[in-house]
Amino acid sequence: MSNENNRFTELCTGHVLNALSDSEEKKFQQLLADANEDQLALYDELKAVAAEMATLAPAERPSLSVKESIMQMATGVANSQSGKTGPANVNRMRWYRVAVAASFIFIFTSIGLLFYSQSLEEDMRGQSQTIAQQQTTIEQLESEVQRKEELLTILEAREVDLVMMAGMENTNPNGYGKVVWDKQGGRALLQVANMPAVPTDKDYQLWFIVNGQPISAGVFAVDDPQRDNFFKIEQLQSDAREGAFAITMEPKGGVPQPTGDMYLLGNM
Amino acid sequence: MLFFILSAIGKVLTKDEERDRDIMARIKARDASALSELYDQYNRLLFGLILSILKKREEAEDTLQEVFTQIWEKAEQFDLERGTVYTWIVSLTRNKSIDRLRSKVYKEQKKQSTSLDNEDVFYPLYSDETDPLENTILTDRAKKLRDALDQISDKQRKVLQVAYFNGMSQSEIADEYDIPLGTVKTRMRDGMIKLRELLAKEIEL
Repeated sequence: MSNENNRFTELCTGHVLNALSDSEEKKFQQLLADANEDQLALYDELKAVAAEMATLAPAERPSLSVKESIMQMATGVANSQSGKTGPANVNRMRWYRVAVAASFIFIFTSIGLLFYSQSLEEDMRGQSQTIAQQQTTIEQLESEVQRKEELLTILEAREVDLVMMAGMENTNPNGYGKVVWDKQGGRALLQVANMPAVPTDKDYQLWFIVNGQPISAGVFAVDDPQRDNFFKIEQLQSDAREGAFAITMEPKGGVPQPTGDMYLLGNM
Repeated sequence: MLFFILSAIGKVLTKDEERDRDIMARIKARDASALSELYDQYNRLLFGLILSILKKREEAEDTLQEVFTQIWEKAEQFDLERGTVYTWIVSLTRNKSIDRLRSKVYKEQKKQSTSLDNEDVFYPLYSDETDPLENTILTDRAKKLRDALDQISDKQRKVLQVAYFNGMSQSEIADEYDIPLGTVKTRMRDGMIKLRELLAKEIEL
């Protein structure tokens, strides 16, 4: 055995028994860092031999609180590490379970939110349609009010002529009509009832007949025969004291001279 | 020779070492129940070892707790290629015990005056009980070691005993028992080398 090996062996035996001085321990650590395979094997062997000596220690039982403290430490540490990515199978399992549970919660929450958002979207779409319908109704009502106001201005005139029209026996026996004529203003209000609905390619045309000559006073269409329909007639200027009003059905947009069947007729 | 020692010990310890390695693997995986099993397996042996060094139960229990805390926290440092679990935890236990023994608090305490030539004043450094560990395999190993110790010289055996179970350094042994330091080193080295040979031979038989 060389001096180097003797030195290593002597320090090694002292080391495995924790019996070296600080300086010798440092020296041994230097030798160990450069140790060859045989020296490393000797080191491991002597460590094993030293450890065997523990079997001769008089067995003593520590108090139960020692294990309790150790287990509290271990379980506490384990629990605190459960949220981390670690090598622990148990904790990994716990973490995995938490992750799976969180995933399910996330998925269910997402699905719930998706359905909720779709429901909201449908509600909003429905609300938008309702608003649009109400807007249309409002516009229709406003238009109706405006039209009624215009009609009222005719009725508010100080002097008006009232011409009653009756349905023709062969075409419209139940028909009814009325013309309120504001001669001063050159405007008239036409009210008709029980008039058949006109085809899409036809219109009713109002005629003012003076001295046997028909003068067109405008065209109109009736959508709802069951209710009274009111129309405003513009530019009905005449000083005639006598005459008649008649309504015929004519091609769409009206014609210069009456060509169709007469539905209403009334004299001044 | 380590192969013979470890593998031969392994023949005896196969089940224990396999069990210990399984436990260590579980401890590395942060399985607290594995630490509990390891504690149940070795607490009496380790506590006896610590107590033989520190002599005080309270200090020994604190140290035992530190040892298992370190096992739990430093399990990754255990290298399967460099020895058995048993060797690792015993070395760890001795290191902890020696560190505490050599701390300032302990150094301030009055050293117990003993003489290597006076058998009566010795603390019972190791047990002569037939089954002190309540573990057949450890008891068998203790018997083999005791037989091996009986085959080395009395002076070598006493130096090893004092160093191992009293946690004394070579210079402390030399001072305490008035033996030249060189002689202490020689007895320690020769005793350990002889023990190594005897254990290997014993096991080979």
